[in-house]
Amino acid sequence: MTGVRAFLSRFMWVQFAAMVLLLAAGSLALASAGEARGGAVMAGKWKDALATAAFAFAAYFAIASVDYRKLLRLFALPGYIFSVVLLVLVLVAGSEQFGGKRWLWFFQPAEVAKLCLVAFIAWFWGGDREKDRWRFGFAGFAFAVAVAGIPCVLILVEPDLGSVMALAPACLAMLLCAGVWRKGLLALLAAAAVSAAAVLGAVHEAYRPGTPPEKTAAIMRYVPLRRHQAMRVKTFLFPESDPLGAGYNLRQSKMALGSGGARGKGWRRGESVRRRLLPPMGVMNDFIFCVWAEETGFAGSAVLIALYALLCASTARAAIVARDGSGRLLALGMATLVFAHVYVNTGMTVGLVPITGLPLPFMSLGRTFLATTVLGLGLVQSVSIHREE
Amino acid sequence: MKVERRAEGVLQFCALVSVFAAGFAAVLVRFKEEQIDHVAEHRAAMASQSYRYERVSGERGRIFARGMETLAGNSAAVDIVMDPAFFATMPRFARSAPQYAGDTPEDRMLAAMQMVSAVVGRPAEIDAAKVRRHLKTETSRPMTVWRNLTVAELARFVEHGDAFPGFATASRQTRTYPQGSLAAHVVGRTGRDAPPPAPDGSGRGFAEMEICGRDGLELQYDEYLRGEPGEVRTAVDARGFATRREVVDFPRKGPDLVLELDMSLQRAAESQLKGVKGAIVVLDPRDGAVRAMASSPSFDPNDCTPVFPKALYDKYASDPAKPLFNRAAGGTYAPGSTFKPATALAALASGFAPEYVYECTGAYGAGDMRIRCARTWGHGELDLVHAICESCNPYFCEIGVKTGARALAEEAKKFGFGEKTGIDLPADASGSVPEPADGGADPAGAVRRVGDVAQVSIGQGRLLVTPLQLARMVGAIGTGWLCTPRLNAALPAVRKALDVPKADLDAVRKGMFMVVERGSGVAAGAGVAARVAGKTGTAQVGAGTHRRKNTLFVAYATPAAGARRAEPLALAVIVEDGETGGATAAPRAGAILREFYGGEGA
Repeated sequence: MTGVRAFLSRFMWVQFAAMVLLLAAGSLALASAGEARGGAVMAGKWKDALATAAFAFAAYFAIASVDYRKLLRLFALPGYIFSVVLLVLVLVAGSEQFGGKRWLWFFQPAEVAKLCLVAFIAWFWGGDREKDRWRFGFAGFAFAVAVAGIPCVLILVEPDLGSVMALAPACLAMLLCAGVWRKGLLALLAAAAVSAAAVLGAVHEAYRPGTPPEKTAAIMRYVPLRRHQAMRVKTFLFPESDPLGAGYNLRQSKMALGSGGARGKGWRRGESVRRRLLPPMGVMNDFIFCVWAEETGFAGSAVLIALYALLCASTARAAIVARDGSGRLLALGMATLVFAHVYVNTGMTVGLVPITGLPLPFMSLGRTFLATTVLGLGLVQSVSIHREE
Repeated sequence: MKVERRAEGVLQFCALVSVFAAGFAAVLVRFKEEQIDHVAEHRAAMASQSYRYERVSGERGRIFARGMETLAGNSAAVDIVMDPAFFATMPRFARSAPQYAGDTPEDRMLAAMQMVSAVVGRPAEIDAAKVRRHLKTETSRPMTVWRNLTVAELARFVEHGDAFPGFATASRQTRTYPQGSLAAHVVGRTGRDAPPPAPDGSGRGFAEMEICGRDGLELQYDEYLRGEPGEVRTAVDARGFATRREVVDFPRKGPDLVLELDMSLQRAAESQLKGVKGAIVVLDPRDGAVRAMASSPSFDPNDCTPVFPKALYDKYASDPAKPLFNRAAGGTYAPGSTFKPATALAALASGFAPEYVYECTGAYGAGDMRIRCARTWGHGELDLVHAICESCNPYFCEIGVKTGARALAEEAKKFGFGEKTGIDLPADASGSVPEPADGGADPAGAVRRVGDVAQVSIGQGRLLVTPLQLARMVGAIGTGWLCTPRLNAALPAVRKALDVPKADLDAVRKGMFMVVERGSGVAAGAGVAARVAGKTGTAQVGAGTHRRKNTLFVAYATPAAGARRAEPLALAVIVEDGETGGATAAPRAGAILREFYGGEGA
């Protein structure tokens, strides 16, 4: 087949359509929230997001038309090293905002690192299992822990727990699918589950109603969480405990979403954002989903989830047609990364996941994240287009 | 190789997609729970978190005199208010402006106030503590910073106000009295107070201080004039700052009050009292409509609104002339000789004939008391009509003592003395009619001795009446009807027939006409285009060096040929510390009647 015809016939239109529709929904939500925030700057933010998306989509088509194997070969290793350097740099020279160092100049290195780590894992463990046997054994496992661990730890130090909560599952899924020393990975998973359970249990014990404050302090001394993180876990366990304090955001986000009802209040009629009932700094980022859900109701949130499901499924589908392991891993990794973001972000608004700062793909105003997501999905598009006939 | 790879891809795809499906399903289930099952709770919670309610008062009803001259009206005072929400939710970049510099809303508000006070031209009436308190307790409401702007201040603010977002002008209802002190005691005055609680106890949220009646008709008809309050709903943000205000229930204006007062009579009455202490009441004797009610000294209710300045209040309260006091309805005086028509009617009722003759020798001895006549050497022999005309004290002592204290007291009560008149004013005094002593029960102030009875028969002693009661009495003599005086034209006329034979009334009237024709009250009838019947009175009050004379004149008038107006009038004039009723009070009555009916020199 000739180039253009192959491109058009193998192009994953479902993925592209889902992205465009999500971006449209995001623009509506951002326009509404921006208008409510007040001021021309905020009201025009949705245009900034669309401008970024326009550039990112240009790159998306460019990447899709280039063989992903060539891109991985050229950029996976330097990209990974570059992203780690950026993560170190942001800790040294980043600008501080809301108690965290996440910004370097105009972008967030953590978002760049997500894409680079996924690409690196796909490149490194995508090869032939028989040829590079060590990569899939214990040594490979140890190397994987180091490769994934370094950016994760650096991101945790920022601190940006949310990003790690989305990135770690993606890495784990890729490594499992790649076939890296399964016993080790499962043990790691088990260890993570056990420690998470231990932390939850300890926090539960510490903040159970009726616990004396001395006991709470004594327990919390041994729990490796920062104070605001501990409070979020506490709210997750006891949502009604402190509606005006730590539980405020959860209460307000549930109220915003719940008051939307089945059909919603109508575009630009969301009350929580107009009356600043939701934290104003979060309505265009972490809580953008609440704005959408309040204005469009259950119908709108179900449509949005359906679009995300289509996006994730179509992205993951490239794994079936991929010509090699790295293509398969890229597709699975990017799909998991998007899914994890959507799940954590929407789940936190209804108390399924502790409240944490994490953007919602195509909806939030995070422009670095928007760009890297589009680029990553472009790579997967390339996997689909450059399949083996 | 390819098939194998493909199978692996399908397997992993399926595994991953089922994880996605489970995750999305869980999220959707939770959405359904919150958005479909619990929607009512969330909406209720949002409403209670989001709205503050505020009572707003309706415009107060106005008060008009007959002919719709405004006695009490409303006007708008202009204030400058600050919106706390603006200063609390200001975006960071906006704070670079010097007028909005500051880390807290309080600092920013104070800084901005400083800047705007230069424009307005006077310092704000608000200090840091007040700002703090407002932000804490009335977060959702605008804060008044400057009250009652002058035109110049308003013009400066309007010209430069655009440079100070967060500030706005607001108008506030104020009470005005365009006639100043005219009829001040009738109209009364207003103050500011918390609104009365809703009858059903439904009051919620904020309630601004409202205009409320403090005296006079403003107090009497306070509830009527207030109208129906409305309600404003303020949508607030999470911190309680207002985001939107909307009227959920519009306030309704209170109904207006139209009075029976005749402004020309009222002006005439007040001009006659200028510089003296006293009171004048003019009634329509047919139905009790109050045409004029003046009390002097007076005050300007504009000075007492919206709040009574403490210095002014203290000045009025310590003034022995009591300018705030309505003498016309609330002041009690010894009626003096103006009571003699009542004594005469009591005597006639108990069997005396109008032709009864008594020889006045200049004094009347009652027990150990000697009551002197106005004419030192006595009037000689005279009958009832001439006794009224000459106001002969011994004649009335004689017939009064013979008639008895009980009959006198009952006659006085027929004319409504000793009880409130029922006028629609708070200052409605009852006065007092001394009861005769009864063997066992002996009320304080009872008439015991012969001298006491003689005193009552000439309107002295413990008998106390109000000018309003006197006007009503003389009106009743003129028409045969005792009316309940009223100011509000919407009230029905209430009157009852006087239980007195017509022949007796005619005899007394004859005497009273004679008083004005050639007796002590000629000054009241001179040049008036009306037939005037009257009675003068001069009451001794106080003792020793504090001895004073209150001078009185009561009259009723019916229009004569060529009169400007066709209504009869009854009037009572009291001037404290005067010379005699004939010299001090009667000319004032004459001037008022001339003003009304016209006549020579009018």
